[in-house]
Amino acid sequence: MINLFLHAALLTTTPILLAGIGGFVNRMGGLVNLGLESMMLAGALVAVEVSGATGSALLATLAAAAVGAAIGLLMSLVVTRLGANEIIVGLGFTVAVAGLARFILKSVYGASGTYNPPGVAMLPRLDLPFLDGAPILGAFSRLDPLTWLAWALVPAVAFALARTRWGVRLRATGAAEATVRSVGLQPLVIRDGSTVFAGLLSGLAGAHLSIGIVGLFNEGIAGGRGFIALAAFYFGRTSVARTALGALLFGVFDAAQIRLQGRGVPAEIVQTLPYVIVILVLTALGFAERRATSGRVLR
Amino acid sequence: MNAPPARLGKAAAAVLPFALALGIGALALAITGHEPAAVYRLMLEEAFGGERRIAATLTEATPLLLTGLAAAIAFRAGVFNVGAEGCFYLGGMAAAVLGYTLPTWSGPALIPLALAAAALSGGAWLLAPGLLRARLGVDEVVTTLMLNFIAIGLTSWLVDGPLLARGSANSATPQIAEAAELPRLLPPTTLHLGFLISLALVAAYGAWSRFSAGGLESKLVGLNPRFSRAVGVDLARAILGAMIASGIVAGVAGGIHVLGLVHRFVAGFSPGYGFTGVAIALLARNSAIGVAVAAVLFGALSSAGANIQLFSNVPIEIVEILQGAVMIFAVAQFSFAWPRLKTAP
Repeated sequence: MINLFLHAALLTTTPILLAGIGGFVNRMGGLVNLGLESMMLAGALVAVEVSGATGSALLATLAAAAVGAAIGLLMSLVVTRLGANEIIVGLGFTVAVAGLARFILKSVYGASGTYNPPGVAMLPRLDLPFLDGAPILGAFSRLDPLTWLAWALVPAVAFALARTRWGVRLRATGAAEATVRSVGLQPLVIRDGSTVFAGLLSGLAGAHLSIGIVGLFNEGIAGGRGFIALAAFYFGRTSVARTALGALLFGVFDAAQIRLQGRGVPAEIVQTLPYVIVILVLTALGFAERRATSGRVLR
Repeated sequence: MNAPPARLGKAAAAVLPFALALGIGALALAITGHEPAAVYRLMLEEAFGGERRIAATLTEATPLLLTGLAAAIAFRAGVFNVGAEGCFYLGGMAAAVLGYTLPTWSGPALIPLALAAAALSGGAWLLAPGLLRARLGVDEVVTTLMLNFIAIGLTSWLVDGPLLARGSANSATPQIAEAAELPRLLPPTTLHLGFLISLALVAAYGAWSRFSAGGLESKLVGLNPRFSRAVGVDLARAILGAMIASGIVAGVAGGIHVLGLVHRFVAGFSPGYGFTGVAIALLARNSAIGVAVAAVLFGALSSAGANIQLFSNVPIEIVEILQGAVMIFAVAQFSFAWPRLKTAP
């Protein structure tokens, strides 16, 4: 019972975690990405299409990553090269891509809302027979590769940011753009790179939703998870581990809300919890900061 | 820099995003085998061809006038409020509840009361992010965005349970009393008094922003907060005031939408009016006339979109693509077109 729930919670965490890590890296590079939702949605659609056409889950996953990365690049260029406000551009991408996905659904596939081509290959599940039946650990059997990838990325990104040349450059781009420029690097290119990375991971998140869980595309498949991922990396602030913790927390909420449906706990209220938590976290941070600057607000 | 070219630049800056968005839409249409020019001509015809169609366009523009205004009020003071969507839901809910629980009241008493309740819920909803920003410097974009999702969740829970109309299959409150309905201006079209109320509010904002001390002060706060503080403006008060006023207007928008058009609250009853309002305020550069023009343009888009889906096989989603693209390009700075306007690195 507990294994079943944990297993479900791990699966619901994956898309939030993937997009959350992407958004976290993007934010470290100095861009707050509100377009994660759009990249997730595009990834989900492309994954179903490619999977149905080729029967290969691997190709589908790569295609989802590619389309997410492409949208990320497009969005980044508008922000970094045309000086556009990242918040509005992110919301704009969310609106436009959602419209585009439904537009394509209707005019290319003649489908309204749901696209379910025959022969969609699902992501494989990794059987770990020696874990089956073990308490708690049993939940880690039969997870898909993207879930493992997402969790492997947490220490990898932490290490890369702290210890590698690229990590230092990325953090410097977010914290002190002028300094990066003065040592002869191109901060905008580095920032674009971080947005492409966020798009890539969000595309994977979309693939996980469509060919990892349900095997079809639905216009509401992203279901605000791009914004939950935003909540996760705001919760995480400067730590990828905390971001992952936030994603796990929200994933558990998501799984719990599915289980509690029809048992008197209103799903609509449970779904708002991640957003409430983010506001509370930001409020606590605001108070902490005010105490640190001895009561003087500089803005 | 002399005046005429600057004004020309301003106008071009407002038109260019629209033109680029139409270009992107044309691309999507052409790729999917439609004739872009023909579709756009049909849309123009469906939006403005004849009294009835113009009335439909203005009906669609009504909520956008106010969500655009709500965004403009906040942006003008440098407050990046994207929470109009949530206020729209709450305002609509408040007006609907009063509208159906007080069936014995007469219209002239009930309508102002319902709209006041809508205003109050919208304004109160943004009190927290306003205080957080003004007192603690907490980023209002994230808090107001999150509050949207909370408001949508809260209202859909209310209409799914406690406030669900008896015997109703979809999540909706009961119908409001007939006395609470805003009168129609041009029956049989759906254009209602709310359009004039909205237009009047936009005009009042125009007068306020141009001619009053408060209007100047809010512009000053938006342009240069440090200077404003130095000349004695109470920054926290100005920021909080802009946020609450913005929430009030967005709440009224929801209330008018219920009393004038939908006549009840239905779960998910805004197709993103709050976010379109953001695009409108950006295109309008916060000017009252700009808000009115942009709201009518976006209203034309959505009323035409609904019709072309009926009369041709072009999906209505072309409208969303256009709206999203306008949002994106509205904030892009095309410095190659106006090399003098932007020299900062």
